[in-house]
Amino acid sequence: MRFWSHVAELVKKDLRTEGRSGEIFFVTIPFGVLALFLIPFALPNDQELLSVIGGGIFWVILLLFGMTLTFRHSETGAQRMLMSMLGMDPAARFVARVIASALLLLAFSLVLVPTVVILYEPITPAGWPILSVILVMVCLGIAAIGTLSGEVTIGLRNRTVLAPLLVAPLSVPLLVPAAVATDSLSSQGSILVPALIILFALLGVTAIGVLTARPLEEASR
Amino acid sequence: MKPRLIFSGLAGAVLASGLYLAASHPPDSFQGEFARIIHVHVPAAWVAFLAFGVTMVAGLVWLATKNYTFDHIASASAELGVLFTSLALVTGMLWGDVVWGKAWDWGDARMASTALMFFVYIGYLALRRSIDDSEARAKRAAVLGSIAFLQVPLVYFSVTIWRTLHPTPSIRPDGPSMPTEQLKAMLANLAAYTLVYVVFVVWRGQQSSQETLLEERDNFDLGPAGTAIEPPTLGTTT
Repeated sequence: MRFWSHVAELVKKDLRTEGRSGEIFFVTIPFGVLALFLIPFALPNDQELLSVIGGGIFWVILLLFGMTLTFRHSETGAQRMLMSMLGMDPAARFVARVIASALLLLAFSLVLVPTVVILYEPITPAGWPILSVILVMVCLGIAAIGTLSGEVTIGLRNRTVLAPLLVAPLSVPLLVPAAVATDSLSSQGSILVPALIILFALLGVTAIGVLTARPLEEASR
Repeated sequence: MKPRLIFSGLAGAVLASGLYLAASHPPDSFQGEFARIIHVHVPAAWVAFLAFGVTMVAGLVWLATKNYTFDHIASASAELGVLFTSLALVTGMLWGDVVWGKAWDWGDARMASTALMFFVYIGYLALRRSIDDSEARAKRAAVLGSIAFLQVPLVYFSVTIWRTLHPTPSIRPDGPSMPTEQLKAMLANLAAYTLVYVVFVVWRGQQSSQETLLEERDNFDLGPAGTAIEPPTLGTTT
């Protein structure tokens, strides 16, 4: 019970910090939308091609731009030390960070989805409710991988380069099944296998994150 | 004679016999002489999977025991995994160029996922090189080694999940799908590459352990930070 109350407080703190700085809403989201505008300039003027690649482009933009928000600094070294001395479970900090990042990624998606629909006119998948569940799982997965990579690289001089180098390939078990599921829904196919792969990856990363939260916190001191 | 030299000699002998068997079996009825590259490609891919598995296990054992031998094994194993992955990728591309008519095909999930696994472990090695403190390095690398291993089942099952261009495994529970001579050569090379991997892990692990000792000695020679500050002196002008 205490674990989850800590998680709830930390999620509120993270979202409040983001609300005050506005870094994601005023930098990451506009930059992601700008990327959606730029991609068609690099392609031949072919609406049919854009419709075909629209779904995949959405997932790539969500990953590449979304990962930057999972590395954001929401607490200083002194704050981390204080939380540790107060007996805050490092696993609660990890879970809170993942939930807060996933909520921010979902907010990012809420802007990306209508932009993709307007600009790319993608083939509309039949099962929107199922796709929404996949989106939530992918956001949680990116948040978990990003949080772990952020923790692993915290305090390193080359963190801004190293963390994306870790997250981008590690997110492929989420990205590929998500794109396959979008395709399958458009053609009325089954999404069981891609959904299971996403779930397996999400549970695996979350379990590793929770189990290794304490040694990682010790390593960052 | 040292056991390490005996084991290295054994690995060399098995490797030589594996190469002989690979070169001496009759040419494949469809792919001709070029099918022999499979005796390098498949063992290299197997050793890469093994190496990444050892990296994960050794990292977790380090977390549990804090015995640095396991951190050195994890580091050496990851380096070898990257080396053997690149060997598997290059031989796969050479084979693809002849048999498929192109070295790289985006429709092949095994190829693309293997390349991504290669980048994940390049990131692992980059992380290790970025951290000077041996304890922090071992802890962070152990965590990353565990997450990175999630790629391995994805790469292995990619051919069955996505049913792509890549051939499915030749050694299956219902029996092998290749002639007996080829199978013998394949098994000999699998054993040989595994032994070579073990020899290299031991060598590189010992080297890594000596590097850490040297780093610790260098850090010790620096002395306490306070000695770098000179006491103020009176009566001098600048």
